[in-house]
Amino acid sequence: MSAISVDSLHKSFGSTVALEDLSFTVDEGEVFGFLGPNGAGKSTTINVLLDFVRPTSGNATVLGFDTVTETRAIKQRTGVLPEGTDAYDRLTARQHLEFAIDSKGVEDDPEALLERVGLADSIDIKAGGYSKGMEQRLMLAMALVGEPELLILDEPSTGLDPNGAREMRQIVREEVDRGATVFFSSHSMEQVEAVCDRVGILRDGEMVATDSVAGLRDSVDADTTLRVTVDRIDDDALEAVRTIEDVTDVQVDEGRADPTVVVRCNGSKTAVLSALESNGLEVTDFATEEASLEDVFQAYTTEGST
Amino acid sequence: MSTDSTEAETAPVNAASIQAIARKDFQDAVRSWLFWGLSLFFFMLLVIVAGVVAYFGEDIAAQGATTEALVGIVSNLTRLVIPLVALILGWKAIAGERESGSIKIMLALPHSRTDMILGKLLGRSAVLSLSLVVGFVLAALVVAVLLGGFSVVDYTGLLAVSIIYAIAYLSIAVSLSSLTKSTSIAGAAMFGVFVLFYIVWNAIGTVVLLLMGRGTISGVEVGDGVRPPDWAIFLEMLDPGAAYANVLSLATEAAQADDETLAMQAELFGGDLPFYLQDWFALVVLLFWIVTPLVVAVYRFDRVDL
Repeated sequence: MSAISVDSLHKSFGSTVALEDLSFTVDEGEVFGFLGPNGAGKSTTINVLLDFVRPTSGNATVLGFDTVTETRAIKQRTGVLPEGTDAYDRLTARQHLEFAIDSKGVEDDPEALLERVGLADSIDIKAGGYSKGMEQRLMLAMALVGEPELLILDEPSTGLDPNGAREMRQIVREEVDRGATVFFSSHSMEQVEAVCDRVGILRDGEMVATDSVAGLRDSVDADTTLRVTVDRIDDDALEAVRTIEDVTDVQVDEGRADPTVVVRCNGSKTAVLSALESNGLEVTDFATEEASLEDVFQAYTTEGST
Repeated sequence: MSTDSTEAETAPVNAASIQAIARKDFQDAVRSWLFWGLSLFFFMLLVIVAGVVAYFGEDIAAQGATTEALVGIVSNLTRLVIPLVALILGWKAIAGERESGSIKIMLALPHSRTDMILGKLLGRSAVLSLSLVVGFVLAALVVAVLLGGFSVVDYTGLLAVSIIYAIAYLSIAVSLSSLTKSTSIAGAAMFGVFVLFYIVWNAIGTVVLLLMGRGTISGVEVGDGVRPPDWAIFLEMLDPGAAYANVLSLATEAAQADDETLAMQAELFGGDLPFYLQDWFALVVLLFWIVTPLVVAVYRFDRVDL
């Protein structure tokens, strides 16, 4: 059984389409990064999973339960860190956790949970005085109540400094080791690549890519750009490079003082260099530019790309 | 992994959930200045009225009916004040959480939306009841000193009926609050309720008499005079304030009309007082105002996107 299964989900708000035929699954025990720019439909998807909004058509299940008819069963087994919400100003961290513990009918210790997220010092301070980062830690502690089978974290790094973000990732790993599934959304690839097994990229309400982080990296490597500085430009040499299998594009960079050949290929760089040299050119310098995962993310989510 | 939801998990209403929400809401509200202000307000109200009764009411005191006088005067004030307090205490109950987003903290826990409405009403009712009790009990000491003793039964009766009356208005406030995610609109709705029951409803009697004078509607001839038609009187009796005053005569000696007045009233209806002028009907009216708004709110709140 999959932890989350979304099947041809549509959601419109009036005439605005938020989700369009969205389908994906999250396997049990994996860390799934749900990526997309702001407004792509990440929050709407999470809102459907938690029954905060109802699908226009299509359906979704979480831990095998239907999100509309069996929502209480889902929430009993799921820990949620919601995005963009304030904590209850007049309640202390302890009272927040007692509310969650009470609600789930479990026997957790508020102090131990706050210890884990590094907020034990502020246990009896009202949340109204918390910084954004402290609020985020409190929400994470609430999500951890009752050892949930699934954690849904919506933009968990919001308001956290790099140190806090690292601690957040550490806790995610601990939870996965315990056997939990983690589904977390982010608008930045950087935050998810360190911890996610698989990544889904959402754009305009549609999933444009779903792959493992390694798989995405491979698709990036396929488009390595090679910049070769040579002593002169020779058409025969360029033609020789073009005939190499795996080379997708050969250009001369006119903007440089030194003659420079720009080659896009997804195969051996040595083959390109030897083709140039065997045609009598002298290679004085070369550099490879590997697109980062962030570039892939940009490519998938920017208007006009495929 | 569990694949079946238990019976409790599919039920639309869960007592433990309602309790957890009410407890959280109570903890939250009890820390607000509003709560302490209210308690102080009720205390002052009773003490001042007791002072006035003690000062001017020597004759009444001689007849041993001091508490009745106190209850009579206090209930005329609380009839106007309790609705205001309840509307102020309830208007943000749900709209406020939707506006700030904290509703996602609450409903990410295993609670249904119906649980939330009922839990909020229970929590706010507890807050208002507590402030009434605190005010009444503190004042009891002062009242006892000023009046040289008082009837515990009448005093408790007034308190109990006031709490039911308060819950009716809280139910209206919390229900209206669930219909919108804007606290401004919720506030406007509270103002609308105020205008409806304080001005419009009070004007019904006057307007009916006016229209009878112009011959637009015909009254019922009784002996030499004319009384408004049954439906107009029935409508007037649906005002929670009127019901509050009438229920008081069930619970206390104070508002009880003497036999002569009752006989005169009955005379107007050909010997028998119609059901809607009997005291038990007033209690039904108060219960109607508790239940009806909730039914509407539960129906609608369960169907909206949060």
